[in-house]
Amino acid sequence: MTAAYGKAYISDADFFAEREEVLKTWPTGSDVDLDEAVAYHRTISDDKKFTEALKKAAEEGRVLVQPRAGVALVDEHIELLQKLAAEADLLPTTIDAYTRLNHYEEAQKGIERSVAAGKSLLNGFPAVNHGVKECRRVVEAVSRPLQVRHGTPDARLLAEITLAAGFTSFEGGGISYNIPYAKKAPLELSVKTWQYVDRLCGYYESKGIRINREPFGPLTGSLVPPCVSTSVAILEGLLALEQGVRCVTVGYGQLGNLVQDVAAVISLRELCDEYFRKFGFENYQLTTVLHQWMGGFPEDEAKAFAVISWGGAIAALAKATKVIVKTPHEARGIPTAEANLQGIKATKQIVNMLAEQHLLREDSLQNEVELIKKEVRCILDRVFELGEGDFAKACVRAFASGVLDVPFAPSRFNKGKLMPVRDSSGAVRILDWAGTPATDEVREFHRRCVEERGVSEGRKPSYHMLIDDIYAVSKGRLVGCRR
Amino acid sequence: MSTENVSGPTIVLGVIGSDCHAVGNAILYRVFSEAGFNVVNLGVMVSQDEYIDAAIETNAKAILVSSLYGQGELDCEGLRERCIERGIDDILLYVGGNLVIGKVDYAQTEAKFKKMGYDRVFTPESDLNEVIKLLYADIKERFGE
Ligand code: B12
Repeated sequence: MTAAYGKAYISDADFFAEREEVLKTWPTGSDVDLDEAVAYHRTISDDKKFTEALKKAAEEGRVLVQPRAGVALVDEHIELLQKLAAEADLLPTTIDAYTRLNHYEEAQKGIERSVAAGKSLLNGFPAVNHGVKECRRVVEAVSRPLQVRHGTPDARLLAEITLAAGFTSFEGGGISYNIPYAKKAPLELSVKTWQYVDRLCGYYESKGIRINREPFGPLTGSLVPPCVSTSVAILEGLLALEQGVRCVTVGYGQLGNLVQDVAAVISLRELCDEYFRKFGFENYQLTTVLHQWMGGFPEDEAKAFAVISWGGAIAALAKATKVIVKTPHEARGIPTAEANLQGIKATKQIVNMLAEQHLLREDSLQNEVELIKKEVRCILDRVFELGEGDFAKACVRAFASGVLDVPFAPSRFNKGKLMPVRDSSGAVRILDWAGTPATDEVREFHRRCVEERGVSEGRKPSYHMLIDDIYAVSKGRLVGCRR
Repeated sequence: MSTENVSGPTIVLGVIGSDCHAVGNAILYRVFSEAGFNVVNLGVMVSQDEYIDAAIETNAKAILVSSLYGQGELDCEGLRERCIERGIDDILLYVGGNLVIGKVDYAQTEAKFKKMGYDRVFTPESDLNEVIKLLYADIKERFGE
């Protein structure tokens, strides 16, 4: 079954033909010169390369700390990143929501209005509008490895511009940057345009320039069961490897239960290796990232720090290669540099305190690892069957049939029928599997977990229980109580 | 577009602009439907004209605009003027969520959005039961129903 897979590598001719069209979609595209970009990357020192930082951290068993950050204007963005560089190991450039949807005219207005207002009115950095030269100013002004973080279904031009500017890591994927982030973008198209992005990274790789690619693990960040996010991460990893990418970081969004979260990171890492090898890929560099709690945050800043620190603890105990941090402003708005620094510092404190500690792989942890592995294998067996030898087709058909289904996703190409709910220990279980396959044994386990909670709370598990779980963390708990 | 056949007043619900935050929208749809409103839910990423089209088509009494992602200040401006242009001058406009960039004092945000022509402005922590009471009262006051 695996034999046919892994052969959809985009040919040079097709790649360069598509490239010509991509670069025409906004005037700044014409400034991208691939040869010049490759030559520029050769001059970047190792301490500013994402892949080098990840490699070193993985070897030393350290957890790298990275914030999210981006504002409308270049000088302000540089100032922000320079402040964050004081504490962060890795730096981001978070892209605004207009650019993410290729609405460059609106981004342009946002830039102009931000100049007039004297503050950023955009929720990120509009890299396409700024173009290669201005983005390179950012690269040159900061002393840390830089990654583009966004949520773009069609990120071809964004990738062309930022990679040419000297960014060394690019987040996203055809599923993870569509299903949670878009409404009408066809999955078939986003998967296809992301194959282009991966092929572009593969092109750099073929010239000896290693670009780190990071599928977005947390998806909607709203009670996504580990088996769903892990399956998506594996698929996006395979799609990237197929186009010549050799440095992949797979991610997971903390859910809140210690055992489930640590197990999820362990199984994510082990399953990626299992599937990457199964499909014949070797010589890749694989690392993991933990995202601190991605759902609704408590408004109170002291409470927010508790959530942040618990996420830091999970990253350290699960031995993730890096952790993406939240801030005490999370419930309210884009953080100031100061609030962002506080989140980073709280995280570093706990990560460093736990650096030498190891969770024993005793029964409860080992059982949870085995459970997630069973679930993922059952889902992916079906997904690969549907794909008939083509990873892209596998993704599209899996969502169309509900074999993959992400809770609370806005996309029309997601069924939205699978229903998660927490068990009494706060682990996320599945109340209604809808079209997602699972063995009888696994279904029975989830049913028992959920039933137990229902009995202890004296109510029937339902959508209402799920809604209570959605609010729970913001209201000071993990397991939602009846309102 | 999802509606349920109930007898209560019709309201239009959606998340404005390029905003993808879908969780609050799903909950608002449930809560307002359960409270007896006939909710026309446009989901996420709704343009000003889509709200107005739906409001005209269904003779809605109110539009409930959500904005979570921070660019609400850019997206929400002009909705009242556009409503007037298209002949639904007196429709109630409610707006709520993380309306501006950053953690800003709520009073400032409220003043800004009231000036844009929104009747009421809500923080993310607003008690939805209170909002429901306000909405029934505002509809009664404005339309005498
Ligand atoms: C989950 C989440 C996501 C998920 C969303 C998945 C999905 N498709 O739904 C993901 C990870 C994809 C995501 C992406 C982004 N996010 Co986000 N996200 C959140 C988070 C953590 C929780 C939101 C949530 O679901 N809450 C639970 C629901 C139940 O609450 P709610 O959404 O607030 O809705 C309630 C109330 O607001 C209120 N309400 C809402 N509208 C209205 C309207 C009326 C009339 C009334 C009465 C009440 C009302 O009632 C709702 C129900 O209780 C918030 C921060 C937080 N709150 O902790 C950030 C947050 C909303 N995101 C934010 C941003 C900026 C983004 C991004 C642009 C990325 C970025 N630059 O950081 C992208 C969005 C891109 C796009 N095109 O929109 C910012 C907005 C910043 C600001 N306003 O200054 C926040 C506040 C985080 C932050 N502090 O930076 N996000």
